[in-house]
Amino acid sequence: MSILTASVTRPAPPPAGSPAARAVGVTKEYGVGDARVLALDDVSVDIGAGRFTAIMGPSGSGKSTLLHVLAGLDRPSAGQISIGEVDITTLSDKQLTLLRRDRVGFIFQAFNLLPTLTAAENIALPARIAGRKPEAAWLQQVVGAVGLADRLSHRPAELSGGQQQRVAAARALATKPDIVFADEPTGALDKRSGEELLAFLQHAVRELAQTVVMVTHDPVAAAHADRVLFLSDGDIVDEMADPTSHEVLEYMKKLGA
Amino acid sequence: MLSATIKGMLAHKLRLFLTATSIALGVAFLSGTLMLSSSMQAAFDDLFANVEGGSDTVVRAVSENDDQVAENERPPVPATLLDDVAAIDGVATAEGRVEGYALLTDSDGKPMMPNGAPTVGTNLSVDTGLRGDIAVRDGRVPRAPGEVAIDVTSAEEGDLPIGSSVRILFQGTDETFTVVGTVGFGDADNLGGSTTAFFDLATAQRLMGEEGVFDTIVVDADEGVAAEDLAATVGASLPEGFEALTGDAVADERAADVKEGLGFFTMLLLTLAGIALFVGSFIIWNTFSMQVAQRTRELALLRAIGATRRQVLRTILAEAVVLGVAASAIGVALGVGMARGLSALFEVFDFTMPPMTTAVEPGTVVVGLLAGTLTTVVAAVSPARRATRVLPVEALRDAAPTAHRFSRVRAGLGAVLTVGGVAGLLLALYGPAPAAFIAIGVVAAVIGITTLAPLFMRPLAAVIGWPLRGRGVAGELARQNAMRNPKRTASTAMALVIGLALVATVSVFAASLKASFSDVLDSSTNADLYVLTPTPQSPGFSPEVITTVREVDGVETVSPTAFGTGKFAGTTGEFTSVDPATVEAALDLGMVSGDPGSLTDDGVLVREDLATEHGWSVGDTVVGSFPGVRGAELEIQGVYDGRGFVNTAYAITGEAHTAFYPKRMEGTAVVIVEDGADVAVVKERIAEAIADRPDATVMDTEEFQGAMSSVIDQMVGLITVMLLLAVVIALLGIVNTLALAVFERTRELGLLRAVGMTRGQVRAMVRWESVVISTIGALLGAGLGIGLGLALVKAVADEGIEKIAVPGPQLAIYVLAAALAGVVAAVGPARRASNIDVLRAVVTD
Repeated sequence: MSILTASVTRPAPPPAGSPAARAVGVTKEYGVGDARVLALDDVSVDIGAGRFTAIMGPSGSGKSTLLHVLAGLDRPSAGQISIGEVDITTLSDKQLTLLRRDRVGFIFQAFNLLPTLTAAENIALPARIAGRKPEAAWLQQVVGAVGLADRLSHRPAELSGGQQQRVAAARALATKPDIVFADEPTGALDKRSGEELLAFLQHAVRELAQTVVMVTHDPVAAAHADRVLFLSDGDIVDEMADPTSHEVLEYMKKLGA
Repeated sequence: MLSATIKGMLAHKLRLFLTATSIALGVAFLSGTLMLSSSMQAAFDDLFANVEGGSDTVVRAVSENDDQVAENERPPVPATLLDDVAAIDGVATAEGRVEGYALLTDSDGKPMMPNGAPTVGTNLSVDTGLRGDIAVRDGRVPRAPGEVAIDVTSAEEGDLPIGSSVRILFQGTDETFTVVGTVGFGDADNLGGSTTAFFDLATAQRLMGEEGVFDTIVVDADEGVAAEDLAATVGASLPEGFEALTGDAVADERAADVKEGLGFFTMLLLTLAGIALFVGSFIIWNTFSMQVAQRTRELALLRAIGATRRQVLRTILAEAVVLGVAASAIGVALGVGMARGLSALFEVFDFTMPPMTTAVEPGTVVVGLLAGTLTTVVAAVSPARRATRVLPVEALRDAAPTAHRFSRVRAGLGAVLTVGGVAGLLLALYGPAPAAFIAIGVVAAVIGITTLAPLFMRPLAAVIGWPLRGRGVAGELARQNAMRNPKRTASTAMALVIGLALVATVSVFAASLKASFSDVLDSSTNADLYVLTPTPQSPGFSPEVITTVREVDGVETVSPTAFGTGKFAGTTGEFTSVDPATVEAALDLGMVSGDPGSLTDDGVLVREDLATEHGWSVGDTVVGSFPGVRGAELEIQGVYDGRGFVNTAYAITGEAHTAFYPKRMEGTAVVIVEDGADVAVVKERIAEAIADRPDATVMDTEEFQGAMSSVIDQMVGLITVMLLLAVVIALLGIVNTLALAVFERTRELGLLRAVGMTRGQVRAMVRWESVVISTIGALLGAGLGIGLGLALVKAVADEGIEKIAVPGPQLAIYVLAAALAGVVAAVGPARRASNIDVLRAVVTD
């Protein structure tokens, strides 16, 4: 496994203690017998705290599956996954749900928001589910950064696609999670809206000390990350620190995507 | 096309099951009622045909009243006529028959009183050919004065085997007999639930008639002589005042009486079945609406590739027809069980059912299938029409099904119907409009409210869901979900509204009935005690009881009253007979003019409304006809308001009553105790004095009210149980709506689970939504029911229901129960919602 090191120096990432998430020997298979599909094949990876990590790979490489098992949305067939110090593979459904609620944020490609709730209510949703009030100062900071202060009382139907995804991003960050997982967050957005969202995620990592893991197939999106993991046939085949979109694109071509 | 329709339907099994069930239950109720009704009619036809089958010709006195009356209420046939009849050519045998009241007591001395059915005493024909299907099962026929044969059921239930002695109460006397035989009626062990005692002719005459007379003469024809011919021949030879009919004609007459009663019952049941179907139609409407909404893209695609609107309409309606026919067929099949269930239910509520086999007539099947299918298709018409308005371009839009806007036409129509209906109702109740406006008003208002319901669903859900705000995010989301699609919430809740409104109407009516009865007892009688029959269904007690009670120490006055019917001025009307000597002390008739104390045996008191209607005043003459007397000229000697204890159209003296109906019984006697006497002590003494008269009992006012309440409660209970079917269908509707909502909101639910909502919270959310919908239905239903109940009470105020009572706690329990039922209805959909696969829900592609 070759390590490509970037020549560009950037501001140092926050002090890296223990990783925000860790996968050790994770395997995920679907189906049985002839229909058996190996989506993840003995994957081990550390996701650094306070870093923006992108996962890339050709379709069918298992990148979404990796995100789902890391996030506790799906269970691996074998191996161990921890978020912070917690081994989530041993948790019950209920414990896993509470962990997602309190320590993990999510941004999906689409359908991130409840249509009956306003933007503000959607942002506060995880906290409300937990029966807590979101931390006001932090919330203000997030909402300010995402640039939606004047859109808070709107319902999703009254927001553009980009605005909806930014609301989703704010929702993901509202509980000050240990880690945010984003699954193709810009997949359904136009270029400008996508750029705004990525800028926000970058800002969240650099200025607000958050940890973000993002699955994408877009090299431009991946270039916003501090580190890119390349997946092929269910395993991490390479990674790249401080990537540029060009470098990522070139590498992807090599992978045959 | 049709196979595609059926495949599409099978794809959603739960929806199919719930929708089909809601129709099938209504159809089952409907066809079960029809089956029960025709089975009962057939059973009664058989019964009377069997009993009368033995006599080819029956000779009896002509009734002086045009109404059909029982043989033993007519003037008697002199025994001397028997020889003349027997001598007629073609007559094989002729015998006299006597029929009367004979109350059996069981081995413990308790009276055997079948509910509603008569307690018959008669003589068993000597000639076996005249007995028809009546046959001695065990033992032998009674031949001597002290012998009796009784029906098999009485012998079993009363523990009266052959050889045991049985005390039998007649009108005015009682005697002890030895059971010498048991009697069956064809295959049946009793005659339509009644008890029957057979004596020899002389004994029957002595105890239930007079020496030298019969009630009828029954004739067996010679071999080869047709019954009709013989009846004609015999009829021609009879003196004036007598007639001869075939046995079949008499059987038909008797059966017709019973059937008239059945007809009322059948109507009541059919109405309830109609309500169940109506409630079911809301669920059909909902299912088809949701389906059209979900299939918008598919329908748009059909339109885009060239399907006409008519074809789209036909696709949806074809589905409705298939569903309707299939569900109705299941319903008709279930109807057989429903008929048995209803029959068992009536038994539970103490109605005696004749022995019968469930008859499934082709007509019943056709009516069931048609009613179910039509209901389904009619309910599907408006969603189907909406489907035709789907534009081809919608195939390209990625829009989730949204609620349609409430049309102004609909709002206007609803408002007009509601306002018009309520106005009509009020005008009929308090103004000059005719009574028919009550029914029209109620129907218009109910349809109007149903039409408008979506308009006030959102605010209602907001208000009712208000307490949910305190229940965290699950509660709040539930409240919002309930407000989300007002039309759907409305039609789901309205099904429950209708069921519950009727339950509430019945309970308000019953409570008012009870309150009015208590009020009548308090205000219009001076009674300390009442002498009554042990159950309201008993025909009465022997007049002898009055004499006994009058002699009890401490009793000041006993004033007997009894009910009867007769033809007054050409129309059948009910009368109360009173005792002029004591009536003024005992009862306040609410006299407008005249006084009841001076009522003579050829006089009559008339109720105020009738006097006004006919323009009668004191001194006028009313012609009354009774079975025994035609054209009795009765002088109007007073007018009363009819709002008290005596509420019948007419009142006559007890003597006159006896003259018109020689075999009559007493109904209720008002007892006043002497000044200073302890009522409880006197009551004990009366109870002792009439201890050997089990056909009468003594009660104080409180007990009388209690007895009346329990009778009302029993009726209300029966109707409520049957209305519950409509409520159950409405709850199926809630399950249906929730299940569809869960299906539609798969992604939302997945998102909520992803961001940390626990399965328990998801279940709670669905549950609370269900509770909001069911509570809306229950509250609206209770409110509507109170309104309808009050309207009903007001509508029948003339019948003596003057007090209005709303049973608050009872209604509160209904609302609470409905809310709880909402929890139950949500169990399945909630589990489904909580088991949604998070990944499948949130991942695009």
